[in-house]
Amino acid sequence: MISAEQLVGEELAHWYLLTPMERWRETVKLWQQYLAMGGSLDPEPDTQSPFFDPATPSPRPVDGRSGLRIVRRGRV
Amino acid sequence: MGGQACVLYGAAEFSRDTDLAILASQANLSRLRAAFSELEAEVIAVPPFELNYLRKGHAVHFRCRQKEAAGMRVDVMTKMRGVDAFSRLWARRTTLSAEDGTVYQLMSLPDLVKAKKTQRDKDWPMIRRLVEADYFRHREKPTREQLRFWFLELRTPELLIELSAIHPNVCRRLGKQRPLLKLAMADAESDLIAGLSEEEKLEREADRAYWAPLKAELEELRRARLRKG
Repeated sequence: MISAEQLVGEELAHWYLLTPMERWRETVKLWQQYLAMGGSLDPEPDTQSPFFDPATPSPRPVDGRSGLRIVRRGRV
Repeated sequence: MGGQACVLYGAAEFSRDTDLAILASQANLSRLRAAFSELEAEVIAVPPFELNYLRKGHAVHFRCRQKEAAGMRVDVMTKMRGVDAFSRLWARRTTLSAEDGTVYQLMSLPDLVKAKKTQRDKDWPMIRRLVEADYFRHREKPTREQLRFWFLELRTPELLIELSAIHPNVCRRLGKQRPLLKLAMADAESDLIAGLSEEEKLEREADRAYWAPLKAELEELRRARLRKG
């Protein structure tokens, strides 16, 4: 039998094997990190969507910049 | 339904917006209007939040302004291509309860997979993952319904070949409904990949055809909005 790790790699295989509520708790943590980093809540523009409207207004971040911020600079 | 359901079913780790499938009735709309009022949600695109548009198959798009949900996007739909009526979706729903007592009502996995068969590139890897996650969690002791679901919806050639080798009789029986299962039984992986691609192409074409009149209506609504200023 093919293992999930073989097929999709370790990270996604681990995600597959969580229960739905375990996934929910993890996604809540991701949400918190994403928002703390100033991530936008607007979905990415999807030109293939039948709902796509380039004129749809999107809120600007409070600092007027893009949603991404550098949280750490330094050599690796 | 949508991205949050994909997270709970294991196909995604994160989704920025929330999609709701609701029963299209005036009473239900009034309740939803009250809930959106608490969230200070506003409609941000055409069409307006009216029953006739929802019944035609349009989605209504909101953005919340309430402090705790500021910026949250919510889309509401009542009808999706290739998916049963809401009463049947509701009867088949998955109910999850969190430790804090919050109850989540999700579209069933087979219904979600059907709803995801759209013209968009991003939905197809999602379908693949949704079914893979279910397969890997339950393949040791599958029910008849699960076997049927996997045979009809798996999009991973390696797993279709594996499944057909373990359950050849079920595969043979369902081959009438999904002709490419014969290729899985024959272990013809490259032909199977081509067959899956053809299935996807046909679904995407059907979705584009389904949306053509609705998109025309949306365009007309946008033009009317511009004329009004």
